[in-house]
Amino acid sequence: MNFDFTPVWDNIPTLLTGTGYTLLIALFAAIISLVGGLAVSLTTLYGKKVFSYPLRCFIWLFMGTPLLLQLYLLYFGLGQVGILIPALLTGILGLGIHYMAYNADIFRATILSIEKGQTEAARSLGFGRMQTLWFFIVPQAIFRALPQLGNNMIIMLKDTSVLSVIGVTELVLNAQFEIANTFRPFEFYISVAVIYYFLNLILETSLNRFEKKLEDRR
Amino acid sequence: MDFALMWQITPLLLEAAWVTVTISVLAFILGLVVATILVIMRSSAFRLIRWPARIYISVIRGTPFFVQLLIFYYGGSAFGINLEAYTAGLLAIGLNGGAYMSEAIRGSIIAVDKGQNEASRSLGFSRTQTMISVILPQAAGLMIRSLGVLSVIIIKGSSLVSIISVVELTYQSQRIISSTYKPFEVFAVSAAFYLILIYGVISFVDWLYNRYTRYLSH
Repeated sequence: MNFDFTPVWDNIPTLLTGTGYTLLIALFAAIISLVGGLAVSLTTLYGKKVFSYPLRCFIWLFMGTPLLLQLYLLYFGLGQVGILIPALLTGILGLGIHYMAYNADIFRATILSIEKGQTEAARSLGFGRMQTLWFFIVPQAIFRALPQLGNNMIIMLKDTSVLSVIGVTELVLNAQFEIANTFRPFEFYISVAVIYYFLNLILETSLNRFEKKLEDRR
Repeated sequence: MDFALMWQITPLLLEAAWVTVTISVLAFILGLVVATILVIMRSSAFRLIRWPARIYISVIRGTPFFVQLLIFYYGGSAFGINLEAYTAGLLAIGLNGGAYMSEAIRGSIIAVDKGQNEASRSLGFSRTQTMISVILPQAAGLMIRSLGVLSVIIIKGSSLVSIISVVELTYQSQRIISSTYKPFEVFAVSAAFYLILIYGVISFVDWLYNRYTRYLSH
């Protein structure tokens, strides 16, 4: 047993750059998954059948297959039909679309959980169908969905590590570059784990605080 | 679409799907054992037994499964241990799943009404008797549900062991793609296998849950 963390210490800038990419990817994927998830759930609930059936199919397919498979399909499958996009973009899209399906499922459940009386009250006050949906149902549904959405975002931050396999230079892949130079896999992976642990801790506590703040405002 | 190829590779992928099934089942059993130990440790009266379990759960849930897998496979050399890919994968999935399962089990035990415990204790049942014959039967319904969700996560997570070259569904798909250059067709077949597995497990869990809760209401 011999540990030597000096190579890790010497290559800290590479790891920090990777961490920056990880956060960037998580941020963009989160935006895609949240906005897209809401749009998909509204379409499946209220849209025309031409749009709602394919989207239901999309949710079913993407919740029933592993993220890795979807990433490979996006990365190699698009290449087969002649569309070549950079790994970083593929990664953000893949992760965003995967969690879009999960978020859509959550939004769907919370929208359905809003009491009928809300719709009736808004409608009898003279609001139109769309207005009722947008000003009464959706805000309440989003509020109710927050804990589960936050949970998904925490899982997603950890899943950014999988993007290393399609060549996205985030934390894990950057560590692997340095492992190839220094032959210190254990030390590097442990350091990577520590970084993820702290990122996770920060995200979790800030999400909790945010939820509490919203709860107090209500 | 090359349907002839899809038909041709189905037996190969079926074999690989069996590896996915066995590694998932074994990891689930390992996870259950780990989870049971963790739950018992966390309910101990001694801080020295409680804290290791809490730290274990926090570390496992706070770091990506993918990084844990890499540590198990590549990190062992720092201790002079070199695990085989299958063993490393199985251990990583099981030990990771155990932490999540222990939270699921604890959650469903806590969800049982406190009055049940008090009533049973005041009727003269011991702590262990109360747990086994009063609390656990009532917690089991919720436990079936949450462990079911985790078993689906395990199946999806097992695709990641392809990175350390365990020949399961995802790895086999990639191997076939590297000789046929038809990612779309190959991934369509393996996605079908994943869908069958995952929705099969989901319907089984639903059936089990309904059967169990029906038994409770009699």
